[in-house]
Amino acid sequence: MTVAGSDVRLVPARPLVASPVDVVFRLTPGDRPLVAAGDSVVVGAPIAERLRDPVLEEAHVPADPEPQPGGRWSAPAGGRAAGLDGGELMFTWRNRWRVAGGTLTDPLETPFAGIVRDVRPGTSITVRAAGRGLHGIVALGGPTRGRLQGSPDSELRAGGLDVNAAGAILVVGSRVDAETLTRARAMGVRGVVVTGLSSKERRDYLASEARQRSALHRLPPFAVLVLDGAVRRPVAGAVQALLGALSGHEIALVTDPPMLIFDLPNLSVPAPPPDLVRVRGGTWSGREGRFVEAVGSRRFPGGAHLEAGLVQFPDGTTAAVPLGDLERYV
Amino acid sequence: MALIGRVGGRWRLVGSVVLPVGADPAAVAALLVERAITVDPALGASLGLDRVPVGDLPRVEVASHPARRLVVVAGSERALAPLVAAASRSGWRTTAASAETADPLEMSTLLLDPTVDGILVGAGSPPAADERRALGELGALVAACAHRRSELPVVLAGGMGAELHAFGDMTDRLGRVLVAPAAHSGSTGHDLREVLTDLALPADDSRRALGAAALALADLLDRRIDIVEVGFDGGTRAAAWSASGSGTAGLDLAVVPAAGMAPPDPDDHVVDRLATWSTGTTDRHRLRDRMRELRIAPLADATGEGIALRMAAARAALSSLSTWTPEWSELPPADLVVATGGAWAVMPARSVALALVDVLRRAGAVQFALDHARILAPLGSIPDPGERRGILADLADDLLAPLGTVVTPGGLRHGHTVGALRLHGANGGGEHELRQGNLELVDLPPGETAVAEFEFHDMVRLGGRGRHFAIDVTGGLGGLLVDLRDVPLRLPDRADLRGEMLEAWQSTVLAGVES
Repeated sequence: MTVAGSDVRLVPARPLVASPVDVVFRLTPGDRPLVAAGDSVVVGAPIAERLRDPVLEEAHVPADPEPQPGGRWSAPAGGRAAGLDGGELMFTWRNRWRVAGGTLTDPLETPFAGIVRDVRPGTSITVRAAGRGLHGIVALGGPTRGRLQGSPDSELRAGGLDVNAAGAILVVGSRVDAETLTRARAMGVRGVVVTGLSSKERRDYLASEARQRSALHRLPPFAVLVLDGAVRRPVAGAVQALLGALSGHEIALVTDPPMLIFDLPNLSVPAPPPDLVRVRGGTWSGREGRFVEAVGSRRFPGGAHLEAGLVQFPDGTTAAVPLGDLERYV
Repeated sequence: MALIGRVGGRWRLVGSVVLPVGADPAAVAALLVERAITVDPALGASLGLDRVPVGDLPRVEVASHPARRLVVVAGSERALAPLVAAASRSGWRTTAASAETADPLEMSTLLLDPTVDGILVGAGSPPAADERRALGELGALVAACAHRRSELPVVLAGGMGAELHAFGDMTDRLGRVLVAPAAHSGSTGHDLREVLTDLALPADDSRRALGAAALALADLLDRRIDIVEVGFDGGTRAAAWSASGSGTAGLDLAVVPAAGMAPPDPDDHVVDRLATWSTGTTDRHRLRDRMRELRIAPLADATGEGIALRMAAARAALSSLSTWTPEWSELPPADLVVATGGAWAVMPARSVALALVDVLRRAGAVQFALDHARILAPLGSIPDPGERRGILADLADDLLAPLGTVVTPGGLRHGHTVGALRLHGANGGGEHELRQGNLELVDLPPGETAVAEFEFHDMVRLGGRGRHFAIDVTGGLGGLLVDLRDVPLRLPDRADLRGEMLEAWQSTVLAGVES
């Protein structure tokens, strides 16, 4: 029995492009914000100084003006706590303030232009990006920027990287390993966009990232944006078209939310055909086709009764696919 | 989504459908209405479905929300443990630190993290010697962080309430600062858990509504009810009893975010739990990959091996639910256990009762049912208790799909035939030999009742201790299941043997169902 005709709205929808985009940059106690809410920031503008090794020290803080948690402290010149000058007031206990500070700092730069929405010392800075964003599932590393290059249907191996890719953000197709990511970062690549990253590669890469972060001489920011999940799956057609249009342009990768941000007002993002669906799981995983109609509840292997839809693939074949296995970009 | 309507003067379940999040609710409602009209045009007409636009039909809506994050801090590790236990079963995902193990900078970093949604700081009542020294500084630290994050609710539990003065003027705060009793296990810790649950769950939360539904169902059926929910983002246990049995009606609600079928970040602990129940691969990386995929698209890949993964994930979630609700084993056993939640949505109904008795094991005889249309929570959210009870009374037969009765004798001796079962029913009966370690499946269709007469060779626990028992049993999709396995269940350490054993049990209950 056919019900509800060809209502493709029964298929879960995923937005292809998000706008507006609010990006959160995390701060920890002692980090010094360099911007205020309402400020306009350009690409590469420093928005905060991050402490490498924050410490908490006691200090006597004059009562006038009244100190507040989150405020900054000006140490008296030549005093014992001069190293904490500009430190962040944390809390007062037994008439002495605890101040978070340190000597070594790293600049935190915004990889996109935008307007600062909110600044919370010790917590976060929120910036509304000028431009639009492509959502990922997760992003590892830190905010970065570079020229997008590579093809979503290509495979990238560690040996295939060369210095021409320095400063670029690479699109590497369905899957990548930790060795390639580590080597890419070491060669000056600014980021990688990939459809799937397995748990093992993710763990290995994060361990390498943690070791790099603790080094004195740090490499430029590097991010890995995972678009889809943890298993090998081709890039969705709509996403592939968007990445193709962005190829050669400067884009930013951010981690919170995990997203690729582009500021190209004149770029027209082609809307995917309304009945184009993608199979994200099961027998036909990774294939795309045209949603024909909902066909009601069907029995599938394993004894599950699932709502299904009829999908016609480009080779002309049709199949009843569980609606839970389908997705569409809007 | 389900469609209910008044038919012949009472509320009836007209239809229901399970679709993934992201499907347009208007399209799903239209699908349900179109199906109702297509299958029974007269019914559709009598309900006015052919006249009223779908968007104008009255709706009762609830939603399960991702658990929010609570930072739990205390003066000592000893004081921290009961606070974490209370918060973890009250709808919060917890991150904990004590003054013993974290310095003030680490603790401030934790409290100021942008992903934090609430703060619980507690001490014993009165504070113990090991925590007393740290309380003053801890109070000042928390008050300073709360000053900077004025939107966060703060709960001061037990002896920490004495530090309320450190928070100063709170008139401009957006989040509440509450003083609550100290954390304790068992019924004495109920008050703090209630405060935390109230803060954790929004008014339209489906898990909150399950408590009200359990209470109404217990009152209606005059039985002790357990509702066990396993969902994408958490699990719930609601035990409710009516006034007639113990004198006063009561409810114990535990909402455990760690008991979700697809935790946001599957750590080794989660993966190990899953591996324990997996009948396929036990490779940690592959299991973690599959858990991450399940998290991203819970209803994708739900056929074949995908079902086995979900069965393992549901059992792992139940195991977590059991870990965070240890006091449940002290409550009297339920007469009826109702399974609900997304975990069961794609599983064969017969497997559901087995999954529950595999993990939440107690000696006794229990009837199982499935909230197949998942409308218990929406009905529980009806604000007026009288109206809620009335609608539940009409719908009880429609919303609860009977899974059957499971009889689990405890204290069986190993390695031989332990007794026999004689079934006396309206459609005749039969005699079955009972072997320790086996699952005996006896066909007893939904709607049928019978008396199961058990004759054991040795003394066993089945309610009380004895050799001879006669138990009223009711049928269901899974019939009568006599579970002669160990209580608690003992599984082989070797993954391959364990997988074979789990598959054999699964095959027993699915006997006769095509794969």
